Amino acid sequence: MSDRTLHHLSALAGIAVPGRYDKDEGEPSVVITELTGLGLATVACRKGQASALSAAVRKAYGVDLPASSRVAQGAAISFIGYGPGQWLAVSVALANEALAVDLAAKLQGLASVSDQSGGRTVLRIGGSRARDVLAKGLPIDLDPRAFPLGSAATSAISHIGVQLWQADDTRSYDIAIFRSLSESFWRWLTASAAEFGYEVTPAR
Amino acid sequence: MSTSQPNRLAEGGLIDRTQKLRFRFDGRTLAGYPGDTLASALLANGIRLVGRSFKYHRPRGILSAGSEEPNALVELRTGARREPNTRATTVELYGGLDAASQNRWPSLHFDLLAANQLFAPIFGAGFYYKTFMWPASFWEKIYEPAIRRAAGLGRAAGAPDPDHYEKANAFCDVLVIGAGPAGLSAALAAARSGARVILAEEDFRLGGRLLSERYDIDGRPARDWVKAAEAEIASFPDCRVMTRTTVFGVYDGGTYAALERVNDHVPVPPAHEPRQRLWRIVAKRAVLCAGAIERPIVFGDNDRPGIMLASAVRTYLNRFGVVPGRRAVVFADNDDAFRTASDLAHAGAEVVALVNAGHGPSRHAQAVAEAARAPYFPGAVIERVRGGQGVKGVAIRDGGGVTQHFDCDLVAMSGGWNPSVHLTTHLNGKPKWSERLSALVPDALPPGMSVAGSAQGEFGLAACLAGGEAAGSEAAQGCGFTTQPNTRRAVSEESEPASPIWQVAKGRGKAFVDFQNDVAVSDIKLAAREGFRIPEHLKRYTTLGMATDQGKTANANGAAVLAGLTGRYLGAVGTTTFRPPFTPVSISAFAGHHRGPDFRPARLAPSHQWAKEQGAVFVETGPWLRALYYPRRGEDPQNAVNREVANVRDHVGVCDVSTLGKIDVQGSDAGAFLDRVYANTFSTLAIGKARYGVMLREDGFVLDDGTTARLKPDHYYVTTTTVNAVKVMQHLEFCAQVLWPEPDVQMVSVTEQWAQYAVAGPRARDVLQAIVDPTHDISNEAFPYLAAGEVTVCGGTPGRLFRLSFSGELAYEVAVPARFGDALIRKIVEVGTAYGIAPYGTEALGVLRIEKGHPAGGELNGQTTAHDLGLGKLLSTKKDFIGHFMAARPALIDSSRPTLVGLRPVNREDRLRAGAHLIPKGAEATGANDQGYVTSIAFSPSLGHWLGLGLLAKGPQRHGELMRAYDPVRNGDVEVEICPPCHIDPEGNRLRV
Repeated sequence: MSDRTLHHLSALAGIAVPGRYDKDEGEPSVVITELTGLGLATVACRKGQASALSAAVRKAYGVDLPASSRVAQGAAISFIGYGPGQWLAVSVALANEALAVDLAAKLQGLASVSDQSGGRTVLRIGGSRARDVLAKGLPIDLDPRAFPLGSAATSAISHIGVQLWQADDTRSYDIAIFRSLSESFWRWLTASAAEFGYEVTPAR
Repeated sequence: MSTSQPNRLAEGGLIDRTQKLRFRFDGRTLAGYPGDTLASALLANGIRLVGRSFKYHRPRGILSAGSEEPNALVELRTGARREPNTRATTVELYGGLDAASQNRWPSLHFDLLAANQLFAPIFGAGFYYKTFMWPASFWEKIYEPAIRRAAGLGRAAGAPDPDHYEKANAFCDVLVIGAGPAGLSAALAAARSGARVILAEEDFRLGGRLLSERYDIDGRPARDWVKAAEAEIASFPDCRVMTRTTVFGVYDGGTYAALERVNDHVPVPPAHEPRQRLWRIVAKRAVLCAGAIERPIVFGDNDRPGIMLASAVRTYLNRFGVVPGRRAVVFADNDDAFRTASDLAHAGAEVVALVNAGHGPSRHAQAVAEAARAPYFPGAVIERVRGGQGVKGVAIRDGGGVTQHFDCDLVAMSGGWNPSVHLTTHLNGKPKWSERLSALVPDALPPGMSVAGSAQGEFGLAACLAGGEAAGSEAAQGCGFTTQPNTRRAVSEESEPASPIWQVAKGRGKAFVDFQNDVAVSDIKLAAREGFRIPEHLKRYTTLGMATDQGKTANANGAAVLAGLTGRYLGAVGTTTFRPPFTPVSISAFAGHHRGPDFRPARLAPSHQWAKEQGAVFVETGPWLRALYYPRRGEDPQNAVNREVANVRDHVGVCDVSTLGKIDVQGSDAGAFLDRVYANTFSTLAIGKARYGVMLREDGFVLDDGTTARLKPDHYYVTTTTVNAVKVMQHLEFCAQVLWPEPDVQMVSVTEQWAQYAVAGPRARDVLQAIVDPTHDISNEAFPYLAAGEVTVCGGTPGRLFRLSFSGELAYEVAVPARFGDALIRKIVEVGTAYGIAPYGTEALGVLRIEKGHPAGGELNGQTTAHDLGLGKLLSTKKDFIGHFMAARPALIDSSRPTLVGLRPVNREDRLRAGAHLIPKGAEATGANDQGYVTSIAFSPSLGHWLGLGLLAKGPQRHGELMRAYDPVRNGDVEVEICPPCHIDPEGNRLRV
C-alpha cells in the first residue's frame, strides 16, 4: 500500500456479491442493489427558522421540504421527513461528504447539518415480490393505498432500525440502515428472500 | 404390511383415491389418500387405539376431527424434526409420514404404567401436593422427577430444529377468521365491496362443517357452493386466502396473531421455504366465524377408544369416506346429532341403537331411528361401557330404568355445541350465558370485531350464511366500502338446540370430563368438597382445562358438573379465562429468524473485517462485537493482553473506539444546553478544545461520562460510553423536547458516521504525523493535550482529531467517515509498524484504565455519585444542572459512603478478584464488617502484579491501610493495601508530552 489516499469500503463488501441466489426458476422476483456513493445528511431546523429554511431549500435546491414522512424530490437532492423539523437529505449528484458540505454552506444558521454518508448502507429492494420480502420484517403496510409513491417511514426490521422510502418506482423500495448492522440485516434479508429467489446486482 | 384400509368406504369423501400414500404408525406401514388427516387414515385402517392418557395411561382413541382433539396426540416425524403432542386430527397425511404413540411403555397395547389406573382412587386432584409433602427436600430430587417420568405427554426432539421459521406482517380492511359457511359468506360480501380481505382458515381446505355434512344449499350439494365461493374469492386480487392458518390471539389495535403451517404437510420443507410462519395481521375490522365445538357427554368410561363426538363421526363418513365403526350407537341429547344415525346408515353401518338422552321427546330422533332401522331409546342413557382398548358394547338404561346390552364398536355422542368464543375474550371480554343454547356466547367484543355463525350461537345453516354475509358487509361498510344487498338462500337442514343433560347421573366406571388431563367427575367432587367452587379455582386444583387443548371439550362440562354438585344455576357458575394461543404454537415460530447467531443483530465496528483477519478474539459489549485481544501465535489470552498493554506504555497501540456513542449537538444554545445536562460547564469550552464531562441522573447519581469537544461556536461533539450510548441520546432528546423546548439546540447521533481509532503510546504522534495531512500542525505546542479539531487525513479525507487519553499515555483519537474506517486502520498499522505499533483490544483498554484509576463500567454502576468516583470537584457550584439538587442530599454527600480507592495485594503474588468484599484486617468476615468491595481488577504488566479498584467507606482517608479482600465464592482471602486509584503517572506528565 504505497498509495497515500484511503479507499472507501462498503459494509457489504464480500457479502453482497452479485449473482442469482436460492430459488432460481423464472425471472428473479426480488432484486437487491446496494446504492453506494450517495450523499446522505441529516438536516434539523434551527429554532424559529422553519419558514426561512423552507425558503432557503426552495431557492437552493428547487424543492419544498415535506412536512411529514414523505420524499420531496428536487433536481439534485431528495429530502425525506423523519421527524418534526428533521429530514434526511439524499443525493446522487452531491456524492458522499459533498452533500453535507453543500447543505451546511447554503443553510447556515437555518439548519444543523450532520454528514451521515459514511454511516448508512442503502439498499434498493425491487421486483414483484419485494413487498412480500419486506413484510417479513417491516411492521408497516406497504400497499400502495397505504404507502403511495413518495412515502417514507422510519421503522424497524428484525430489531434493526430502518429508514425506508419509495422515490420513483412503485415496485422498489430504498432502505437505509446503520452501517454497523449491515451484515445482520443482510442475513435477515437473504433468508427472507430465499423462497422467492433473489438477484444481487452490482452496486450503483 | 397392511394397506387395505378396511374401514374406507367404496366411494365418497374429499380424498384423492387415485394416489395412495404410505405412512407409518408405531412402525406399521399403512396407507391413506391425499386429503386424509392422520386420524382419518388411522380410522380407515381400523386403528382405534392411538395413545395413552396423561396420568392413568388409559387407552385412548380419536375423539374429534378437529383442533379440539384431547386424546389422539402423537409424536410426529423422527430425529431432530420429532414433534410431540401433535393432534392426529389436524395432521395432514403425506407420503412417508412417520408417527408414534406416546406416553406408553413398552408398547401402546401393553403399557406397564397402566397400573396407575388401579390406584386411581388415590391419584385424585391434589394428590401429589398432599402426598409428597415430606421430607421437603425429596420433592425436587426424587418425587417430581419420578412423577414427571410416569405422567406426561410426548418427548421433545432434543436436537436443534433443522427447519427455518419466519415472521410476517399483513394488513387488511376485513379479517375473516374461519372459512365455514359464515366465514365464506362474510369474506365474499366484504371482497365484493372492494375491501382488502384476509380469510384465515386453520384447516387445509375451505368449507368448515359444509365439508362434513350432507347439506344442500339452493337445491345443490353444499360442497358445490363452497367450490363456487372459493373460486369467486380467488378472483378478487385484494382478497388473500390463508389456509392452514390459525388465528390464535387478539391484541390491541386490531392486531391478530396467526400461525401459518406452511410446510407441516410435507415431510421436509422444500428448499428455501420456511416450515411455519408467524403472522401479525393488522385489520381494521374482523369477523369471527370460528364455528363451534361439540361437547362430549360425561358418563362412565366415556374415554374408551371408539367413543367419538357425533360430529366427528359425520366428518369421517362424509369428508374422508371412512366409517369409524360397523356397529354404532348414537347417544345424544340434541336433534343435530341424531342425523349421525342417518349418515351412518347411509354409509352402510349398522346403527344398533339411537339413545335420546334429551329431556323431552324428539319427533326428529324417532324419524331418524325409523329410517335407519335403529332401535330408539327416548329418555335413555348409556349406563356402562364394555371394552378396554376399544368399546365392545354398551348397557343402555331406558326411561323406565330397564337396562339392555348391545354389542357395538362405535359410540357417537353429543351433548350439544359450544360456540368458539375464545378469540372474543383475549382482550378481557367475558362471554355470557345463553339459556336458550345452554352455552356461553360472545358478549363484549374486542374493538373492531364482530361474530357470525355458530361462533355467535347461530347454529342453523341459513343463519350462518345470512349472518356471515351481513357481518362481512357491515365490516366492509365500517371500512368505508359500499356493499351489495344481502342474499337469501334455501338450505336443507335445520335443527334447534336442546337442553343438555351434561352427565349421566348413575353409571359405572370413571366418567371423564377432561380427557387430556385425566380429570374425572370424582376429581371435581373432591374439589367441590374441599371448597374449590369457582371454575378458576377448580382449574388450578384439578388441572381441568390446563392441558394443551386448554379444555376445549372439557370446560363447559366441568362447569356443569360443578354447578350440579354445588346446587347452583349453571349460568351463574362462570368460566375460566381463555388466553392466547387458541391452539399450541411452537417456540420456533415465535423465535422466527432470531436463532443462533441471529438471536439479535450484532453491530460490527469499522475495523471488524481487519480485526478478523488479525485473528482477534471478539467480545459482546452491548450490541457490539469488539476485539477483546489480538493473540499472536502461541500466546495465551493473558500474555496477549500483557503484551498489548506493555506495547502501549512502551511504544504505541491502536484501538477501535468507534463504538463509543457520538452525538452532534448543534444550535446557538448548544453550549447552554450542555451546561444543563452536564454537571460541569461546557459553554466556556474554547473552540478546538475537548473536556471530560459527567452527566447525572435526576436523582443525583452518575448517568454517564465522556469527553465533549467544541468544533464550532454552535457545534459540539459529545461522546458517551459504548453501553450508555442509546440511553444518553434518549436522555438528551427528552431534555430538549420535554424539559426545555425553548433553546435552539438540535442533536443527532453520528455514532455510525465516524470510524474512530485511539492511537496511544509514546510514539503516537509519530504515527499520526504520517496520517494527518501536513497542513495540520499536530505538535505538542500547536495541538496540546485536550485539543480537538477538524482535519484531513491521508491526502484529503475529511476527519476529526482529538488529543484525548484513556490510557494515560500520549494519545490521539482520529476519526474518518466510516466508509474509510477499514482503510484507515490498515493505514495506521502500515505507517505505525516503524514505531512498533500493535492493535489492542478492550481487555488491554481495561487494564490501561485500571492502572490509571479511571472509573468505568464496574464503577459507573448506577449506584455511585460523582463524589464516590472522586469526581466531586466536577460538580459546578456556579450553575444549575440535572441532578444538582438531588446530588446534595445528605445520604449522597455522607463522607462514609463507599468511595473509589486503588487496591494492591500486599503479597505481590496474590491474585485479586472483582466482587471480593473489603473487611478490616483481623476482623471476622461478617456482613457487619463489610466496608466495601472490589469493582475492577487487572493484572498490571506495567507493575508486575495484580491491582484493583474498589469502593470503600471513607476510602480516600484510608490510603495505606491494610484490609482483607474476602471472596467467599472463589475461596479468596487476600491482604490488600488501600491506595490512591491511580497507579501510573499520577501527575499526568506522560499524556502532555
